[in-house]
Formats: sequence, C-alpha cells, structure tokens
Amino acid sequence: MSNYYEELSQSIISGQLDRVKSLTQQAIGAGDNPVDIINQGLIPGMSVVGARFKSGQMYVPEVLMSARAMDAGMQLVKPLILTEDIPSAGKVVIGTVKGDLHDIGKNLVSMMLESAGYTVINVGVDAGPEKFLQAVKEHQPGVIGMSALLTTTMLAMKDTIELLKEEGLRDKVKVIIGGAPISQDFADEIGADGFAPDAGSAADLCKKLLA
Amino acid sequence: MTLSKSQYVRANYQVNATPQLKMLSDDQCENILNGALEVLERTGAEIHSEEALEIFKKGGCWVDGNIVRFPSHLIEWAIRSAPSRIVISNQKGERTLFLEGQNVYYGPGPTNTYTIDPFTGERRRPRKSDTVRAAKVIDALPNISYAMDCGTVMDVTPTLSDVHAFQAMLENTNKPIIHWGFGIDQYQDIIDMAAVVAGGLEALQKNPFILLYSESSPPLRHSAEAIDKAIFAAKNNIPIVYTPCTFAGGVAPATMAATLVIAVADSLVGLVAGQLVRKGSGFVMGGLISTMDMSSTILSYGAAELSLLSAGLTAVARYMKIPMFSTGGCTDSKVIDTQMGLEAAFSILVAGLSGANLIHDCSYMEYGATSSLELMTMDDEIIGMVKRILEGVKVDDEHLALDVINKVGPGGHYLAEDHTMAHFREFWSSSLINRLRYDGWKAEGSKTMGQRVKEKTQDIINNHKPEPKPDHVLREIQAIVDRAEAREANKQ
Repeated sequence: MSNYYEELSQSIISGQLDRVKSLTQQAIGAGDNPVDIINQGLIPGMSVVGARFKSGQMYVPEVLMSARAMDAGMQLVKPLILTEDIPSAGKVVIGTVKGDLHDIGKNLVSMMLESAGYTVINVGVDAGPEKFLQAVKEHQPGVIGMSALLTTTMLAMKDTIELLKEEGLRDKVKVIIGGAPISQDFADEIGADGFAPDAGSAADLCKKLLA
Repeated sequence: MTLSKSQYVRANYQVNATPQLKMLSDDQCENILNGALEVLERTGAEIHSEEALEIFKKGGCWVDGNIVRFPSHLIEWAIRSAPSRIVISNQKGERTLFLEGQNVYYGPGPTNTYTIDPFTGERRRPRKSDTVRAAKVIDALPNISYAMDCGTVMDVTPTLSDVHAFQAMLENTNKPIIHWGFGIDQYQDIIDMAAVVAGGLEALQKNPFILLYSESSPPLRHSAEAIDKAIFAAKNNIPIVYTPCTFAGGVAPATMAATLVIAVADSLVGLVAGQLVRKGSGFVMGGLISTMDMSSTILSYGAAELSLLSAGLTAVARYMKIPMFSTGGCTDSKVIDTQMGLEAAFSILVAGLSGANLIHDCSYMEYGATSSLELMTMDDEIIGMVKRILEGVKVDDEHLALDVINKVGPGGHYLAEDHTMAHFREFWSSSLINRLRYDGWKAEGSKTMGQRVKEKTQDIINNHKPEPKPDHVLREIQAIVDRAEAREANKQ
C-alpha cells in the first residue's frame, strides 16, 4: 500500500504526463502491486475525468491529455503483469467504413473507449467488410464499432454485418455504429446492436452491451 | 430648389459608399497565404487519386507515395491563372451572379441528413418532395440568389440522391444552382441535365448556371472523389466550388490564424489541380470554417468564430483575387427559436460585411445536420435588413438636405416635404418583422415571429408557381435520370 494513489489520480485528472510517469515509477520502486497501481491510482483518476466530461466541467482536449497521461502510466506497469491480469473493460475493434476517409470522430471514440478502460484495435479508414472480419477473427473483440460521415458510405455498414453473418460470427460480437448521418432507426434497419450519437456515449454503450 | 452649398472646391475627399469591414490587412493576408505555401511545400498534402497524383507530378510537384509537395511558384502561377471573376447565369441564360470584387449573394445549403417539415414540425429524413418544396421557396424568396438541395434525398436510389435532387431543383426554380455529386458518373449526369436546360454543353460552358461543389477532408487530405471532381469540372470547363470543412481545434490547430492557413492550403490543392488541367478554369474557394465545440464535439454553425474565420478567409481570397464561397444564416439550434434567430442574423451580417461572393447555408439548423425552409424564409428577411445596412449612408448635397432643414426650421416636421416623399422609400420595410402597435398586433392574432415565418413558408409552398420549363426539356431531363438509374442498377 502506498500514498501515491491519491496524487496519481489527481495527476491523471490534471493531465500531467510526466508527473504520472514519475509517481508510477515510484510506486513500482516501492514494491506496490502493479494491478493495485492501475485499479487504485490510474483508473479512479480517469473515472473522475469521465464524469466531469459528461457533466460539462471538462473539455475534450483536457480529457485527451488525461488519457495520454493514463496511457503513459499503463505502459510502465503493463510489462510487470501477465497479459490476462491487465484490467480491461473489454476489447473493441473500430474503423471507418469502406470509401470513407473521415476519421476524427472515430479516433475520438477510440480515445474515449481507451480512457474508459477498453482495449481498442483501430483498423483505420476505408475499411471494407473483410478488414473488420479479419480483425474479429484475430482479436475476438466483444464489440466492433463502425463509423461513416457520408450517406453513401454508411450503407457499407450493412455489408460488414452480412459478412459476419455468413461467417457465423454475428452472434459472437456486438456491432455498434456512429457518424453524422447515422441514427437509431438506421442501426435498427441494418441490424446493428447499438448506435451512439457522440464519443462519450459510445463508451457507455459498450459498457451496456458487454454487461 | 436646392441652392448650392458647395461653392468651394474639395480636395482629397474620400467616401465610404458602403460600411467597411476588413478582417485582415493585406500584410496579414500575405502572411497567411505564405503560411499555406510553406505548409504545402514542406508538409505537403495527402492525395488519394491516381489521376490527380499524375497531374501534380507532371505539373512539377514532388510526389512521394500519396504525399504531394507543391513548389510555391506553381501555386502562385495557379492563383494568377484562375479568373478573378466568374459570371453565373440563371436558367434562362440571363447573367445574374457576378462573382467578382465584393459582390454578395446569399443562398441555402446542401446535403443535410434531416429536414424539419414546415407543415408538421417533424424532424425526419429528407425526401425528393422536400427538395421540390425547397426549390419553390428558393424561387420565391427575393434575397435567396441561388439554389442548393437543402438535404440529401433519401427516398430514391441512394447513389443517385444527387441526380434526383438536381432534377427536383431544375423543375421548380430558374435560379442558378450550386450542386454536389457523389462521383464522376453523377457529375456527368448533372452536366448533361444542365446542358439540356442551357441549350447544349457549349452554351452551358459559355454561360454557366451551375457551379459544381466538392468537399475535401482537412487537414491536408483529399479523397479521390473530392479532387477528381475538381479535375472533372476543369476538364468540362464548368466552375467549381472547392470547399474544405476546416474546424479549429479538431482538424486544424486551435488558433484562428492556423485554421485559416489549413483552409487556404486545402483550397489551393484543388485550385492547382484545376489550373493544371485547364488554365483559367473557374474556381471558387471555400468554405466552411469554424470551431469544434470542445464539449459536444460538433462543428459549430453558430459560433462567433464561424463569422470571424469566414471573414478572415474571405479577406485572404480577396487578396488572392479568387471568388469566395462563405457561410452564414445557419445555427446550432434544433428548433425555430431565439438562438436560431440571433446566430443566423450575426453570421449573415458579418458575412455580408466581409464581401464574400457566395454565402451559403441559409437553411442550416442543428450544426448542419438538419435543414429548415422556415429558417431560409427568416434568413430572407434578415438578408433584406443586412442589404440595407450594406447600402451605407449617402453624403451629398441632396442627402444632406440643408435647404430642407432651413425651410422647416426649428420645431417643425418633415412628414409632408417633397424631400421626404422622394426618399422615405429608401427605408427598409419589413414583411415578417412586426412593427405594429400593440392593439394592431393583437388584432392580427398575437403571432410570434416563428408563427409568421411558418405561415409565409407554407403559403409559398402551397401557392408559388415557378415559371415552368418546356415539356421537351423536362422529358430530356427525365431521360437522363432514367439512364442514371439503369447504370446504377447494372452496378448492383
């Protein structure tokens, strides 16, 4: 048990990357259990960030600074823990669909998920159904998330869902979608499991679907 | 009756014929342009089109995979080679929009994924019949100078939403049209339809009533669709609006100057492509520039920075002598309310004062996600007020009226003066703004601005009859739509 955790959480909240690194290093040096460092120092700080963002007290760039600080701490602790012991809320494969190069929204969702404790596999932009399928086979995620900005490219989301069905994998993974033209109606129409209107609620949606 | 006052000779007399707003000095414009040149020479842009990469390489750019770096001299050549003025006709061939100097024209916006039904108030997916309604409202409103589709039509073949919307506009207004397309096939359909109306492709090229519209994906990324459309427009000698969607803090740094640098750089990529294909092809730079809201992550259409940045970009465009496509009359509000009114009014005023040639999105609600014909109707009224302000104050003997002041004398009134008769109609008179006395307003049903806007919009949709086109023209347009349907069916 160490005294570092409260300050570690505070440093995550204020997004001080270097401070998080040195406190994590000190906790490791003091012989703390690495899993405790994550669960009692890093994650509680990030939870506060999530709550403050939702209530409008923190802005996106601040959240991302906190996420970056959290990740720096995780990178120091991770090598000390067996992979299966690393706390993770779940695995999410995320990408922008075929024919679409817009990725700021998708990247934002990706960062929000990571800061909420998810392991995110980002397959990038212009990702066809095969690319999503391959990632599902390789990483066995709980959720795949698809993004589209254009009314033409959003139609490609259905193709991925169909391919997953053909391959017998549709029941193994939850499919969520988002992007400017996407609606709950459209999600229902193409048989997706969920739709999130913004990056913050995407993390809540994953939590709900994986519960 | 005027006894001349001006017996003396004036020297160095300057006149502000209109109010003056210049967001940036020439030196600041030069600084921003140089910043964009440096970015394009040093950082370069990502180009996702083989044809464009080939054109840039031949034109003397450094091509490294998808990254193209532009020598400054090439961009400077392209800026000089593009016309400083483009004249757009209406669909009857009358030269209407003079995109030159600081002439200002307002219009609605394209491709919203929702629309607010002006009869039911429902927010829903746009249908082809909504673009029919939009075109009628555009046709009827005097301060709306050109048409855009006011929503991506979703009850037709999805990949032909653009073609169907264009047909709906051609059939219901004779104003000029700025229109987008998903890809080159659809662009060809649109040009073919426009050529039917203009009386042939050459007539359309000589006297275009359309501007094509293409959006790149900042920062410094140009999809095949975006850049190929700029190339296509130049090949076909039809002017294009090339408009990156640049938002500070998201796809550009959080500072206004850097956001302008990114927007200018991305516009220049489209400009160079077009000029390399056809020297002198018509190019209008854009376009949408604002901030990302750091709580909701929307691209804000009501931000003060939208006006600030748009006026800044307009100053740089003017410095380069490239016609400018700007933004105004839009809002982040979801409903017809006070926020909508104030955001629309601010942006229409500042965009007007900035002297941008085409000011679009006078129909955009909910950060661009939803279109509203009621907002367009209200914007028409706001534009009327702003145009009055842009007329400025005339200062000469007739307008100083010192003789009239002397004649009426202290304590008199001017209501019955010939001079008043001659000039009071210069006052802007409203159609929607209510200036009745209380009892008069009450007698007319105590209506709010929102109610009056709704009634006027509904009245136009129900009763306005746009001048119809000849039957053979409509049949030929339909044949092109049918051809496009057959092509898309074959692709399945």
